[in-house]
Amino acid sequence: MMMRKGSKFWALLAFAALLTLAGCGGSGGNGGNGGNAGSGNASPSASPSGGSSEAPSSGDGKAPAASVKLGIMWWGADDRHEATLKALDLYSKQHPGTTFAPDYMAWDGYWQKLPALAASKTVPDILQMDAAYIQDYVAKGVLEDLSDLDLGGIVDPAVIDNLKIDGKLYGIPLSQNAQGIAFNKPALEAAGISLPQKNWTWDDYFAFAREARQKLPKGKYGIGDASSAWDWYNWYQTGNGGKPLMGDNGKTFTLDKDLFVKYQQTFADLRKEQAVPPPDKSLSFVENDPSADPMASGVVMTRGATTGSVAALYTLMPDQVDVVGIPTGPAGGGWAQSTIFLSVSANSQHKEEAKAFLKWFITDPDAGQTLKMTRGIPINPDIFKQLEPTMEPKDLIGKKIYDMSVEKALPFYSIAQGFTEWVDTYKSTMEGVMFGQTSIEDAYDKLNKLGQQIAAKNA
Amino acid sequence: MAQRGRNVAGYVFISPWLIGFLLLTLWPIAQSFYLSFTDYSMLADPVWTGLANYRHMFGDDDSFTKSLKVTFTFVLFSVPLKLFFSLMVAMLLAKNLRGMNVYRTLIYFPSLIGGSIAVSVLWRNMFGADGYINAILAWFGIAGKGWISSPDTALGTLILLNTWQFGSTMVIFLAGLKQVPQELYEAAAVDGAGSFRRFFRITLPMLSPVMFFNLVLGIINSFQMFTAAFVITKGGPVQSTYVYAMFLYEKAFKHFQMGYASALAWVLLAIVAALTAINFLVSRYWVFYEAEGGREG
Repeated sequence: MMMRKGSKFWALLAFAALLTLAGCGGSGGNGGNGGNAGSGNASPSASPSGGSSEAPSSGDGKAPAASVKLGIMWWGADDRHEATLKALDLYSKQHPGTTFAPDYMAWDGYWQKLPALAASKTVPDILQMDAAYIQDYVAKGVLEDLSDLDLGGIVDPAVIDNLKIDGKLYGIPLSQNAQGIAFNKPALEAAGISLPQKNWTWDDYFAFAREARQKLPKGKYGIGDASSAWDWYNWYQTGNGGKPLMGDNGKTFTLDKDLFVKYQQTFADLRKEQAVPPPDKSLSFVENDPSADPMASGVVMTRGATTGSVAALYTLMPDQVDVVGIPTGPAGGGWAQSTIFLSVSANSQHKEEAKAFLKWFITDPDAGQTLKMTRGIPINPDIFKQLEPTMEPKDLIGKKIYDMSVEKALPFYSIAQGFTEWVDTYKSTMEGVMFGQTSIEDAYDKLNKLGQQIAAKNA
Repeated sequence: MAQRGRNVAGYVFISPWLIGFLLLTLWPIAQSFYLSFTDYSMLADPVWTGLANYRHMFGDDDSFTKSLKVTFTFVLFSVPLKLFFSLMVAMLLAKNLRGMNVYRTLIYFPSLIGGSIAVSVLWRNMFGADGYINAILAWFGIAGKGWISSPDTALGTLILLNTWQFGSTMVIFLAGLKQVPQELYEAAAVDGAGSFRRFFRITLPMLSPVMFFNLVLGIINSFQMFTAAFVITKGGPVQSTYVYAMFLYEKAFKHFQMGYASALAWVLLAIVAALTAINFLVSRYWVFYEAEGGREG
């Protein structure tokens, strides 16, 4: 009797232990996949590069008749996913034998997944790249040199030269992009707040926030709290004539103390005046989430938006969105240039096929018709002309951001090699300032010290 | 000869496991020990830097101290809470009531989902600024707050989540409770012991080996807590949920400092091993094994 009871106990115990261990293993190894699931990765394909290595090798990789499966990965919203999948089908129809293993997700998940793929050398053949990160990935040797791809007559040579890193081209520009600010036009008009004007200054911007405080009900705000966004501060510093935070491919670092303190103090004052949302509210915003987007939820009247991304916001609040450029200083403001690229993995087995696809992607009229404005204003003027008559309001608004910004635009500043850590530290340190746990002076010292250390390491 | 042949056959039979262990477990462990003394970005070759990683860690890395503080706070609260909560539930479910199996199934059911992404997303929706908790509070006229976006409550929500995932701990307690001989309770009841007394004098001592098992596993698991912090809070705000595993992950896969991350992993191992050793040392003073004839105190 005792015996039977005992064995039952141990069986249960073993079973329970098994469950615990399984749970523990799961939580430990979930890193990469976790991000995707969290950000709504809808891709059914398991490993993007798995496809390419399974495909029968075509000898020197040049025989076009052999069947090739190209791994391709991009980030974006649903409309971009659907359009791109259609374009891939089109390519497969035009080029029998070439098929794709697509993997697509939202921005956050993409940049969580890519480092793991790069580390395990399983980056898909073709991958979308962003100007914010391309330098870092080039430095890590992940991307193939595409300088020999002939883009004459498709992309302005000046644009190509501008994009070269150490004299080489690592990404084919897909579109003209620009940074601006979207605002809720009917709501501002209804409250009698003067609308943002083209080429407005930082002073105008902060005055706008204070005017909105007076004319809007409690709990609604003119602008968001941009204390902990490093790129906003970088626009402020460069717009006011300062050097970019990270210069010379990350070999120099400049955090202007006067400008930094002035900028952060202004936001601290605005927080006190309740002209920006309280910190716990600011940190709970999720862009393009209908109930948590700062603008779509109706809480904030403005937010940052780019030519390539504003359509998603417009879809959430049709006919309410208008746009203006980033506030300017004496030196200018914001940026207007190509920031979305397609790159080829340095480890790809099918580099030639991948390059051919890249060229097709920005030249084929049918591809242009399929992809429309899902990655911003097409870089190829012919494609743009072809699309222009059929553009919808959500596309035109993206074009408007570009037109608003181009006159005063400064260069696009990316996160230089090794500075991802600094950007994360900027965010957490400035969150400490937002919640009143850290002084602006201390934050400056900490950020300046770390920035100088990383720059010294890069030099 | 026959003996040796038998041994060889034995090794052949376990070879799939053995090879897997050597290649997929032991080798990477050895690798990571070596890497912890290097500067390694994963894409260039590792460069030997001696103790530099460890010196940086204990010298001037604020994030290291911060993540240790957060992790110890998490362990200190979540382990006892979970043990207490799962023991209480187990005691309820150990009663012989009609339809108890249905209750057991229902209460264990959420644990089947486990510590998964889905649960973490659910948690985010519950405790977010526009979450269900705030919606319920609003019915009573209470203004809620962004529970997971405030540095003073974010870790609390993660501790709550960990406590709620009590299923497997509870099942082990339940098995332990079923093991306690009913005669002891009957005898104690005849002698006039009340229910509190029976709990402290019979249930707890008889349950102590199971308690010990749950405690050790609970501490180890809590030190490795990752999914919830990664999905719900991303370590923020103001690093208030920057648990050790999250820190390690960011160093390895976001900042590409695999050497430093390896060093962090070894320090974590040392911490967990030390705590487990202390646990075993202390256990002889409170864990009661029936088979040893009641060696206590």
